[in-house]
Amino acid sequence: MTDRSLDLLIDEVVLGLASDAETARLEDLAARDPDIAMRLARARDRFAPLDETADDLPLPEHFWERLEPRLSKSEDKSQAPASDSSGGDVIDLEAVRARLSRWRSAAMGGIAASLLLAFVLGWTLFSTVDPLVVAVLLDDSGEAIALVESGPDNTTRVTLLERPDVPAGEVMQVWTKPEDDGPPVSLGLLSTGLSGILSVEGLPEPHPSQLYEITFEPAGGSPTNLPTGPILGKGLAKAPVT
Amino acid sequence: MLGRIDIAEDAVQEALVLVWRRAHQFDGSRGSAKGWIYTILRNRCLTMLRSEDREVPTEPQAIDRASESAAVNEAFDRLPTSTDLRGCLEGLDDGTRRAILSSYVLGHSHGEIAGRLAAPLGTVKARIRRGLLKLRECLS
Repeated sequence: MTDRSLDLLIDEVVLGLASDAETARLEDLAARDPDIAMRLARARDRFAPLDETADDLPLPEHFWERLEPRLSKSEDKSQAPASDSSGGDVIDLEAVRARLSRWRSAAMGGIAASLLLAFVLGWTLFSTVDPLVVAVLLDDSGEAIALVESGPDNTTRVTLLERPDVPAGEVMQVWTKPEDDGPPVSLGLLSTGLSGILSVEGLPEPHPSQLYEITFEPAGGSPTNLPTGPILGKGLAKAPVT
Repeated sequence: MLGRIDIAEDAVQEALVLVWRRAHQFDGSRGSAKGWIYTILRNRCLTMLRSEDREVPTEPQAIDRASESAAVNEAFDRLPTSTDLRGCLEGLDDGTRRAILSSYVLGHSHGEIAGRLAAPLGTVKARIRRGLLKLRECLS
């Protein structure tokens, strides 16, 4: 296999585009060749920033209770070969200890993985926001249509106060102007047409009198990354009195 | 990727069982624990998406194009502007970028991407391959 075709195979496996047979072939190659294993790990690292774009979700209730019986079932299976290899009636403590310590180091990651539910869902659900600023968005006629609360990291809860009449094929997009004389920046889409929590990175902490607005944009969001559609409502933020 | 919280929980549970069962295969010199665990989870999700007996909606009428497109846009928008991946993805043409992102974020196969673009499978495969090579060149 040429270097180029190996690179392609690695990328397609990482993306999930390779067939089962191709994936198995690459895993087999990686198991035998540390250089290929490193190249595969590096390719995974290159796409890993996408994993971080998912929201963290709380674990469903009783998640661990449901997991536990499945773990002990699998433990029975995995312990069988260890005792076989040590003569059947002698427990190979070294192997058990080694397995436990590896498990412990993996467990922290396991907890992180369980928070990946959101990545799996590709969906936005709720988390709590301690607002630094609050804005009431008003429509043309002065009617309050949404409440916006934003935290120091720009995690923004948008609570709709009226059921919006979103035109077919369009979506609500939420914007803010971090700098008064700068361009509006997208905070994200309310793609379900309902209230939601949005998060965005790389913006300065929100400040009082910062502008927030919601516009109707083509499905998938504004093609120009600037508001193009009609404004559903807008308003200036204020710091809550605490 | 799976679009339903109950199926997602199932995937996370199955992945954790595999992590537990395969912990002895983990080799820290061949990548991080986090990467290893995420890979197991991704593979679980892909298997579930590709298997027919799961209740993951794959019927044409169940596909919500708008929310798929939103999920892809959201993943891209949320990539910090400082990451090389974002800069390099920006260097691809729009269709190729979306194809690569929808395979990673939504778990779409070549066939599913071709179906959505209404383009021949071979053309889509070649286009993604060119994109991946360009991306790799830019990222290295």
